[in-house]
Amino acid sequence: MASSWCWSCLSRLRAPSTPRAILPPQSITPRLTTASFHSSAVQYANPTKKKGALVAVKYRQGQTLRRKKKKTTERARPPAVGERKALRKRIVLSNPNALEVEGMQDLSSETMIDARLRGSVLGLPVPMLDQLRAVQAFKPKQGWSIFRRPATVLRRDTLEMARLFEKISGEGDAAEKGKVVKKIITGLKGSGKTVHLLQAMAMGFLKKWVVVTVPDARELVSGDTSYSPIEGTNPPQYVQPNAVSALLMRTVEANRQVLSGLKVSQKHTGLPSLKPSSTLEDLAKLGFQDAAVAWPVFQALWTELTATAAAPGMEKDFKARPPMLVTVDGIAHWMKESAYRASDFTPVHAHDLVFVKHFLSLLQNGQASLKNGGMVLYATSTSNNPSIYTLEVALDQLAARQAGTSPSSPEYPSPEAYSGADARVLDLFKPTTGKEPQFELQTLGGLTRDEARGYLEYFARSGLLREEVNETWVGEKWSLSGGGIIGELEKLGRHVRTAAQTTPVLN
Amino acid sequence: MARPTSNGLVQAFQALRLHSSSTSRPVTRCLARQTRTYATEVEGQPSALETQEQAPAAPEIDFTNFARRPARIVPASPSYFSGSPRFIDHVLQLEQLQAKYASLPTVAAGDAPRMAWFKLAQFRDYVGEPVPMKKYKSLVKILQRLNRIQPEMVPGEVRNTLEEFLRPGNPYAVQHVPRTVDENGRARAKGKRKESTAVVQLVEGEGEVLVNGKSLVEAFQRVHDRESALWALRCTQRLDKYNAWITVRGGGVTGQAEAITLAIGRALLLHEPALKPVLRKAGVITVDARRVERKKPGHVKARKMPTWVKR
Repeated sequence: MASSWCWSCLSRLRAPSTPRAILPPQSITPRLTTASFHSSAVQYANPTKKKGALVAVKYRQGQTLRRKKKKTTERARPPAVGERKALRKRIVLSNPNALEVEGMQDLSSETMIDARLRGSVLGLPVPMLDQLRAVQAFKPKQGWSIFRRPATVLRRDTLEMARLFEKISGEGDAAEKGKVVKKIITGLKGSGKTVHLLQAMAMGFLKKWVVVTVPDARELVSGDTSYSPIEGTNPPQYVQPNAVSALLMRTVEANRQVLSGLKVSQKHTGLPSLKPSSTLEDLAKLGFQDAAVAWPVFQALWTELTATAAAPGMEKDFKARPPMLVTVDGIAHWMKESAYRASDFTPVHAHDLVFVKHFLSLLQNGQASLKNGGMVLYATSTSNNPSIYTLEVALDQLAARQAGTSPSSPEYPSPEAYSGADARVLDLFKPTTGKEPQFELQTLGGLTRDEARGYLEYFARSGLLREEVNETWVGEKWSLSGGGIIGELEKLGRHVRTAAQTTPVLN
Repeated sequence: MARPTSNGLVQAFQALRLHSSSTSRPVTRCLARQTRTYATEVEGQPSALETQEQAPAAPEIDFTNFARRPARIVPASPSYFSGSPRFIDHVLQLEQLQAKYASLPTVAAGDAPRMAWFKLAQFRDYVGEPVPMKKYKSLVKILQRLNRIQPEMVPGEVRNTLEEFLRPGNPYAVQHVPRTVDENGRARAKGKRKESTAVVQLVEGEGEVLVNGKSLVEAFQRVHDRESALWALRCTQRLDKYNAWITVRGGGVTGQAEAITLAIGRALLLHEPALKPVLRKAGVITVDARRVERKKPGHVKARKMPTWVKR
């Protein structure tokens, strides 16, 4: 090795300040700016730059890449079980920031049939709100929370329905007491099917009917509630005691006034604990105190409500039973196999659940079952909706029959071959026979322009809409909402500013 | 005389050989008496004509004819040795015509009959030479100058020459038929945007709209799309005065909505042509011709390059 002394200038070429033995291996020592044999004065050279990484080498530490650990931030505890769902399902019916609409009339027996009020918004009577809540008439995303108090539009379909209510209640000119009207309500998304049911319930409460509702048909077939087979049925039928119990609770809660005024008039052998002098409310209470007897109690309550006369020996305080309103929302869920399984693990068809079957059978024998008259309203849904081909065909058939097409004609819709159409569903929708009135298909469309104007004015008067509601503006919104689809109108009405303004470039 | 068959050639050779071995015989005679024989056959008996005949003398040089037959082939066109002789011939011919008829009265360029001259590519095909764009433009200039001669006074020569340079099919002969509202009051118009094509039938009505047989709400869930679809009617405040029956195909939701915008704008113009400035200002008439740019090889998308990776 060459000497570390430069022969010409006698300067030290390499200046090892540390003993050689502990120098790091050659490959990582900093390279000198001059070759080891070179003799120019190293002292005069610029000091070599120290590389940070090399300086930082510490011998007792690992050489692997180290990353800073992320700080674990303290998070708020997740909401308790069920809290999120409660928040999602919460129904807010009033907004104190919204303006009180002056001069708004309430829905009443008089206003609901008043054709002059068509297109105006009628408030739901405040005392009735608890009843409507009890039957779960309100759904979370219907926009009730942006107004001071819940109110609905009196549209053409509502007026027609109100007249039916009046007729069946035995009032008005052409009274048809004891009649049963059965309707299946369809329509586009946002066309107001559920609110139509709500209006029906409100009218039912106004007319002192008994209102029985299934607010969400899906809950009965989604496998969420308990079920058990009924002994001795073939094919096996299943009962859902908890669902029945919940329905009894809803019905009692909402119809307490009516039910507490009616006394038991029939003999119910299956319910030994029932006293002869008890009211129907007490009868129903048996069911929701003990879910095991819920189904017999429901059957007993149904026979009581549909009785036209008391059993012999019990005529003492028999009162005529009121008509009944039965509503179901989201009926498509009942047209397929349920999430329940039979003992051999085959899926149970929804029509094998007796509770479901009980309601569905009203389509075919509603008049026979509801002897005191009433209304059966089954609505389809478009927001949470299974696509069921057979139901589509069945509704098409219903529409064709209503339009006057005979079922034997070639134009009559029928399921495609090999489409696997569900015969039970088709059977359910076949035309009724005998004295039984046919059930109807009611398709909800959009509001008319006048109705839309009344509806949008309600937004303006509630302080939500800050624009001049005039003919052209309403016409424009009417077209944009696909011909007055009320859900779309609501979206347009609640927008603070609906897109760009019309440019006044004309002339 | 001698047919250029192999047989003839063989005979000729045999004749030569015979001639050298035996008594000299005139070749011409032999050829005159030519018969069909096999190559192996020996020529028959020597002919009786043994009289020596002189070969005919070359004809006299005709000096009058001599000038017409040059020693080398001369090209027909003087521009043969330029790069593009046919093109230059055309230019020369046209220039000659232009000079010849320069004195004829002309009309303004706008009044001259509209002519569809060859496009450059077509002209290149026509002459079969790679003509540069600039030179072709100069030729077209001469054509246009000749075309400006007052129509009544155009000489037949010029007319025929100009016709040679016209595109086949005469595109300007097809008269554009302006669309109108039909007898049922429907205005039909098409619009395109991105990959979508919309056909709109617009009639006077109440403001009802059907898109592919569905309501507007079903076809377009976003309010924005609905507004942009009906923008032409909305910005002219005609939303409640027309019904639209729309078929739209292809593309996505936004493209379909904007294709409808364009189609409704055009259909509305058929009903009310006076609305054009308003619609132009509203941006309904302007066609957005942009389409998706194609992906290129070596790129991840149309322009995006793969990430640079060391080694």
